[in-house]
Amino acid sequence: MVGKRKRETAVVSRSTKTKEASPPPANDAHDIFRKYFEAQFEPIEADVPSKRDAEESGSEDEDNIEDYEDISEPDSDWDGVSDESDEDNVVEVVEHKDASFDGLMDKKARKAFMSSKPPSSADEKKKTTKTTKKDDSDDDANDALNLKHDLDLQRLLRESHLLDSASELAPTGKNRLKALDLRMQDLGAKESLYKQKNMPDAFRQGIKAKAISRDEKRRREAKENGIILEKPSKVTKSDNKRRERGIGGSSIGKFSGGTLNLSKQDLHSMQSSRGRSSRGGRGGRGGRGGRGGRGGKPSRGRF
Amino acid sequence: MATTSQAPLRFTSHHNLVYRLVLSTLTGRTVHISQIRASSPTNPGLAPHEISFLRLLEAVTNGSQMEISYTGTILVYKPGLLTGSASGVGASGGVIRHELPSNCSRGLSYFLIPLCLLAPFSKAPLKVLFSGPGVITSSTPTGDMSVDSVRTAILPLYNQFGMFNNVELRILKRSNPGPNGRGGGGEVQFTFGHQIRLPKTLHLMNPGRIKRVRGVAYSIGVSGSNNARMIESARGILNPLSPDTYIFSDVSSAPLISVPDRNNANAKKKIGLGFGLSLVAESSTGCLFSADVASPPSGGEAPEDIGKKCAFQLLETISKGGCVPPAAATTMLTLMTMGSEDVGRLQVGREVIADPNMIQLARDLAKFGAPGWGIRDAAGENEDGDVIISVVGRGIGNVGRKVA
Repeated sequence: MVGKRKRETAVVSRSTKTKEASPPPANDAHDIFRKYFEAQFEPIEADVPSKRDAEESGSEDEDNIEDYEDISEPDSDWDGVSDESDEDNVVEVVEHKDASFDGLMDKKARKAFMSSKPPSSADEKKKTTKTTKKDDSDDDANDALNLKHDLDLQRLLRESHLLDSASELAPTGKNRLKALDLRMQDLGAKESLYKQKNMPDAFRQGIKAKAISRDEKRRREAKENGIILEKPSKVTKSDNKRRERGIGGSSIGKFSGGTLNLSKQDLHSMQSSRGRSSRGGRGGRGGRGGRGGRGGKPSRGRF
Repeated sequence: MATTSQAPLRFTSHHNLVYRLVLSTLTGRTVHISQIRASSPTNPGLAPHEISFLRLLEAVTNGSQMEISYTGTILVYKPGLLTGSASGVGASGGVIRHELPSNCSRGLSYFLIPLCLLAPFSKAPLKVLFSGPGVITSSTPTGDMSVDSVRTAILPLYNQFGMFNNVELRILKRSNPGPNGRGGGGEVQFTFGHQIRLPKTLHLMNPGRIKRVRGVAYSIGVSGSNNARMIESARGILNPLSPDTYIFSDVSSAPLISVPDRNNANAKKKIGLGFGLSLVAESSTGCLFSADVASPPSGGEAPEDIGKKCAFQLLETISKGGCVPPAAATTMLTLMTMGSEDVGRLQVGREVIADPNMIQLARDLAKFGAPGWGIRDAAGENEDGDVIISVVGRGIGNVGRKVA
């Protein structure tokens, strides 16, 4: 470092000397300014254009080589390139790289081009959209959080009737199961998990009768108070209809426990050529208020 | 369509036979084509690939009638309705299976490109599975382009007419032409699921500059190093001109076809060995130029030569100028003619319009009742002497979709 700096200063001092002896034609503006500056103040030492150095050293090289050596010899223990001189001639690295030999691009491009679809020139557009998406990833996180809060609020509104006793937001115990059941139904479950399927017939009748009486009471009170209610929904007689059968099952009878059970009606329909026109007898037997379709079951015989 | 009682249009010779049949189907006019190879003492009449195309037409239409004379030199074709593969004669499960005979010498693009022209106007989506001992997926010495080029250079053109959904060309098995350039064992599934009422009016008047080159090198039943050699030599020519050049390589085994003989009923043999290169150049305005070279069935050509030839062929196609290469011009102009009653414009190179096939197409279109093309020199700095063709649409479009 020291050696280099010394050499430069030596050159500069020489250059000023030569200038005093015979000023070279100032061909560029920089030199004019420089001369003016030096006339006003003192000679500039530090920042000398290297081009000038080269020129002058070139002109005086023949007779000054020995001088150079003399000057540089005393501290010849040269240790690395100095920082200051480095600023002028920064090494510019030019790396030639073929864009089409990009390993990453290879697979993607191959997939896009070699698919069965006609290739479109839109694949670059896709790339750009992807990069922009990455940029606002923090926005996405924010959105996700908002969505979560939104879901929590909706659940709270929907299940708040379960929470009136407990004050917690996350229900526990019985309430948790009920809330789960509600969510399942919300997601598309057909029936509640806790709906009792099998119970004594008397119980079921009682429940139905109670529901009907409750509804009747509500309607009567509304009528007395002059409130107009919705029309009573018609009771569907779906019980009497033939139920949907599974795919691949038999078209007649009921298959259970590895046996095909045929009712008397089935037998009758098989034997008579008229087929289904013999269904009239069935409706007539429904004795329980016209809704007792299940009463027909015991008549099935086992073969 | 079949109810029109117009006299049949009369044509002669086998030239442009396929496009005449396509135009007949699209316009609904009966055609009478006579003197089909009448002067040939050895092979008069319709060739195997032409018969096969007629079969394909029968499969995708409903109610078309065709009569071929005893010698096969006269064909009368009365087109039916284009039904696609909904409930055609050959369709099973929504797919028409079309078998090509083993003596077929034309590449699959001979069938595919006309079929693509019919597909947008059919009633239902069109799905055709090409199989059999005559499917050649590579380019052929008879001048057909490879199936890869159809997919990468012809099908994207339909995008400009507004058809882009569910268009697929799946190459299940590749095959070069077999011995003596006949037969192959490829398998290709073609799906065209975007049916429209009328194609969009097209104004394509800026060829742009070539932005990138893509390609597929395929070798079937031979070493994959052939691909590398073809790619190397093609890139050597193209890379200095277009740095964004990339050629993909596809190596597959040779297809087997059954050749039952006396001793062995289920004997099989390998067929369609070889290699080839398909190149597609895309311009900055989306114009596509393609080139195709495959190893000849007789062999004896180095992969380097194939690669070089293909690269030069691509450069030649591009040098012809205009927005469409000769191979795609028929497709473009036919679709423009089928478009709405509006003037579409297309810039083509002088050499492209001077092609005998193009002139024949123009004459045939005129005979089918399409208004003539207006041709003028392209405006602007026009070094290549390109011309602009103005095409008035006929507004026929899709008869099956008229009542929506």
